[in-house]
Amino acid sequence: MEVIRLDRVSLSRRTQEEFSYDLKKTALLFLQGKYRQPARNLVLNKIDLVIEKGEKIGIIGGNGAGKSTILKVISGILEPTSGKVRVQGNIAPLIELGAGFDGKISVTDNILLYGILLGFSRKEMKKRVKDILEFAELEDYALVPINGLSSGMVARLGFAIATDVQPDILILDEVLSVGDESFKKKCKRRIDNFWHRDTTILVVSHDLDFVRQSCERAIWLDKGKLRFASHANETVDYYLNSVN
Amino acid sequence: MKLALNENSRKKQIQRYWELLQILVTRNLKIRYRGSFLGVYWSLLNPLIMTGLYTAIFGASFAEYYNNSIWNYILAAFTGMVVFNFFSTSTSQALVSVLDNGVLLNKIRLPVTIFPVSMIAANVFQFSVGALPLLVVMTLINSKNIINLIALFLPFIALILFSTGVGLLVSALYIFFRDLPYFYELVAFVLWISSPVFYPAAIVPEKVKPFLELNPITPIIESLRQIVLSGASPDLSLIGTAFLGGIIFFSLGCICFQLWRSQFMDLL
Repeated sequence: MEVIRLDRVSLSRRTQEEFSYDLKKTALLFLQGKYRQPARNLVLNKIDLVIEKGEKIGIIGGNGAGKSTILKVISGILEPTSGKVRVQGNIAPLIELGAGFDGKISVTDNILLYGILLGFSRKEMKKRVKDILEFAELEDYALVPINGLSSGMVARLGFAIATDVQPDILILDEVLSVGDESFKKKCKRRIDNFWHRDTTILVVSHDLDFVRQSCERAIWLDKGKLRFASHANETVDYYLNSVN
Repeated sequence: MKLALNENSRKKQIQRYWELLQILVTRNLKIRYRGSFLGVYWSLLNPLIMTGLYTAIFGASFAEYYNNSIWNYILAAFTGMVVFNFFSTSTSQALVSVLDNGVLLNKIRLPVTIFPVSMIAANVFQFSVGALPLLVVMTLINSKNIINLIALFLPFIALILFSTGVGLLVSALYIFFRDLPYFYELVAFVLWISSPVFYPAAIVPEKVKPFLELNPITPIIESLRQIVLSGASPDLSLIGTAFLGGIIFFSLGCICFQLWRSQFMDLL
């Protein structure tokens, strides 16, 4: 069964530097007749991709090739300029944890907040609070505001919440290593668990050995184009050959 | 079968929106009033002090327009003040809300409107526990009529619609124009001075009056005063005008927000 399908997906984005954020300046330019439409970059160029249920896919390529962008399109954060995206099942993003936290409210409140932001119901999250605290080893801090936690603890909490859920599709942007050694091991076990289950996983990584070992298939994105897609080993070899 | 599926997913979406709204509003209020002695009632302090100030300065000279009663002036000024205060606080909080949550919006798929709407909703809650009970008491004393009490909510709903529309509009514009807060301050001041909050509408020259009537807050304030203070039964045409402005701005805000959405994601 296919869970993700991209049909000739293109996306053009405005470059931030190009843009004047100034109302006064824009109005003046407009009056002088010098106003011009901001330039757009083609970030994804006619990408076709079909992903079956349970597949583990690695996405490789240079910086700025559109790797993170394609993940955003798949998660529905960005809408493609042209083409179609179809996704079945719920997606959990695991990108730079902790963005949804609010430092001023307590750890428990943050667990609820973060869980609901990720798309889980309040009832469900209430049940999970205990497990999450336990996994993050933060039971004693349940009522402390996040600002009072060390950065390692915050990262642990983020990981615990995002992985406590059981998504159909998991998205990893640069695999994470958080906390001290013992916690890292725990994280690895959890991620391995996802790997063995029927979860579809998309990974963006610069760690080619990791992609070889843990992914079945890999795709190489180059300047917004899908250059090559095949078995992980083949793609990585092809990529290395072409780059060197 | 497909239709049922669609309906199901729509129901889910609405439920998700509602839960997001709840949690964001609680968070807003918790942060705002953490460790504060007066809590939500801080929001009443501002209009009360302002009313006192305006009464001290203008009360005596304007009293003749209010049946020669300073008390009437105080009530009129206070009702106007709470309405305007709601509008200016909620919209200026909504203004920065989308940009402030830009990082989050780039990581998790969320309905973008949730951020400005949650700011408005937090203020609705504040208004409901702060100023609204006072208005209810005033209505009951002045009109002794249950119909006025029910009608009291109509201009309030118009006010919420208007504020939500403006909030959506400015929060989207702010992403394109980062100097917008300065301009918005000016716009808010124009709206403030052109709505008859602390002066009687009668002192405005005939020629200028039509311009003041363009201000969508004016009919909201007038309608609220008519219901709360006059003691007469609710004036439907006033309520209608209040709603007209509210609905126009609400639709404008929604449409612009949706149109600009795909563009402003690039700039967050």
